[in-house]
Amino acid sequence: MKEVIAVIRMHKINDTKRALSAAGISSMNAKECLGRGKGLVDFKVLQGAELGYEEAISQLGQSQRLVPKRMLSFVVPDKLVSRVVSTIIEVNKTGKSGDGKIFVMPILESYKVRTGESGDAVLDEI
Amino acid sequence: MVMIRSIIRPEKTDAVLAALMEAGYPAVTKVSVVGRGKQRGIKIGEVTYDEIPKEMLITVVPLKDKDFVIKTVMSIARTGDKGSFGDGKIFVSPVEEVYTVSSGVKESSETEAKEPSK
Repeated sequence: MKEVIAVIRMHKINDTKRALSAAGISSMNAKECLGRGKGLVDFKVLQGAELGYEEAISQLGQSQRLVPKRMLSFVVPDKLVSRVVSTIIEVNKTGKSGDGKIFVMPILESYKVRTGESGDAVLDEI
Repeated sequence: MVMIRSIIRPEKTDAVLAALMEAGYPAVTKVSVVGRGKQRGIKIGEVTYDEIPKEMLITVVPLKDKDFVIKTVMSIARTGDKGSFGDGKIFVSPVEEVYTVSSGVKESSETEAKEPSK
């Protein structure tokens, strides 16, 4: 089994949830987090630059700022990994930087607390 | 690729983030967490605080850059000369696949060299 961690835009969470449950992946964890990527983004500076302030334009690319994001994590059987990844990409892709990243990591064991079962049986089947 | 999760003191996050940016690793995710460590929390008088606020910084880097990032975080996040209890922990775990959502491209450990944006 694998863990899929996706960091996506704040407002895409509902669309992502809907698309994933339509694709048969219902179990997930979501958390709010702050993040930054390769791009340097400061909304105030961006706004200022759009309005044409010299000062703001000179600051572009200088500052670092953390942007609010959603972090989703799924633990799924190996065969569902590609479906999760492709669904998330399909829904969240706007083509601009800041769409997020998806990481796939190995998980050694998983247990269901209610019954004590372990292995793939505790995960989403389909 | 490896995921480096560093749990550090909240007051050190700004310094660590700046240092990582300086070192050419701008991409970071930050989550506020609470936790306790080997010292079972802090005992002040009669009261034990076992939910101590920390910040978790998550970075995913190529395997070859792992040691450098760990060293950077560790040198900044340490307090005092020899470090002290509560400075935090760093966990490293393997990441098998990395996708960038905006392009849909799967990045492999070899091709995604670090790209400092300055």
